[in-house]
Amino acid sequence: MAAAAPSPAPVPSSSPKVASPKAGDRKVVPVTVAEEVVLEEKHVLAVDDSSVDRAIIAKILRSSKYRVTTVESATRALELLGLGLLPDVNMIITDYWMPGMTGYELLKRVKESSKLKEIPVVIMSSENVPNRISRCLEEGAEDFLLKPVRPSDVSRLCNRIR
Amino acid sequence: MEYSNLRRQIICMKKSLFDQGYLDEQFNQLEELQDESSPNFVEEVVVLFFNDSSRLLTNIEQTLEKYPQDFYQLDSLVHQLKGSGTSIGAIRMKNECSVFKAHCNDKSLEGSLQKMKREHATLKKKLETYFQLMRQAGPRERAVNSRK
Repeated sequence: MAAAAPSPAPVPSSSPKVASPKAGDRKVVPVTVAEEVVLEEKHVLAVDDSSVDRAIIAKILRSSKYRVTTVESATRALELLGLGLLPDVNMIITDYWMPGMTGYELLKRVKESSKLKEIPVVIMSSENVPNRISRCLEEGAEDFLLKPVRPSDVSRLCNRIR
Repeated sequence: MEYSNLRRQIICMKKSLFDQGYLDEQFNQLEELQDESSPNFVEEVVVLFFNDSSRLLTNIEQTLEKYPQDFYQLDSLVHQLKGSGTSIGAIRMKNECSVFKAHCNDKSLEGSLQKMKREHATLKKKLETYFQLMRQAGPRERAVNSRK
């Protein structure tokens, strides 16, 4: 995804939010350039109850230059989204089977919400169950990935992220 | 001199882990993800796995001791264990979990649990040795390895 970005300015991944010009701040021109770069940097919310899988999906996404927020449950994801703490999420990628609320239920809630329904939701699962896959796609999932997820799976998604 | 010895040991060990079926291609995928921004990525993920899996095995053991047996809970725990094992390429662990799941309807669960625990302990020891060698060899070795 980053390869397609026309902006030449390198984006340090440790500073995802570029401040708008504050009073008494130095230059004007770099802020404009930085703003363009911020628009290019997509934010993905990754939901998985497994700490191993969270670490892996986050690494894959960050290697593709996405900004990543990880949460360990669908409930927590909805909480953060609902509270407006993640206002700029470009994509949600979630495990299907999680204790408590499943990724499927999360998908449904997102698609039912007027605020959130435009966000593409990708489901990950370790099980290849055709019924499950078609149900998710019918419910509006952007894609369905089989675990273990590979970097090539993720780069396939990059064009779909608005 | 010592460095190339270490290198040889690491390559041998890794080959044996693969040949004996402890690890599969997924482990290579993880090594490919390792880079300058996260030079210890694989070891960190493996540590996460052993933290998780040790806890899960304890929970499985405790759940087995309850009567009547909560198969739903057991299934859930083994599913989680199988999932994270698969994610790090621990193929033998994954297979033990499948065997365990298949035996959920039998009386032979206790035996399956012991096998799973033995597999887990063996994998842990082998990977600890592997990462010890990697650490001895230093960052240069990681760069070489991750190119495989």
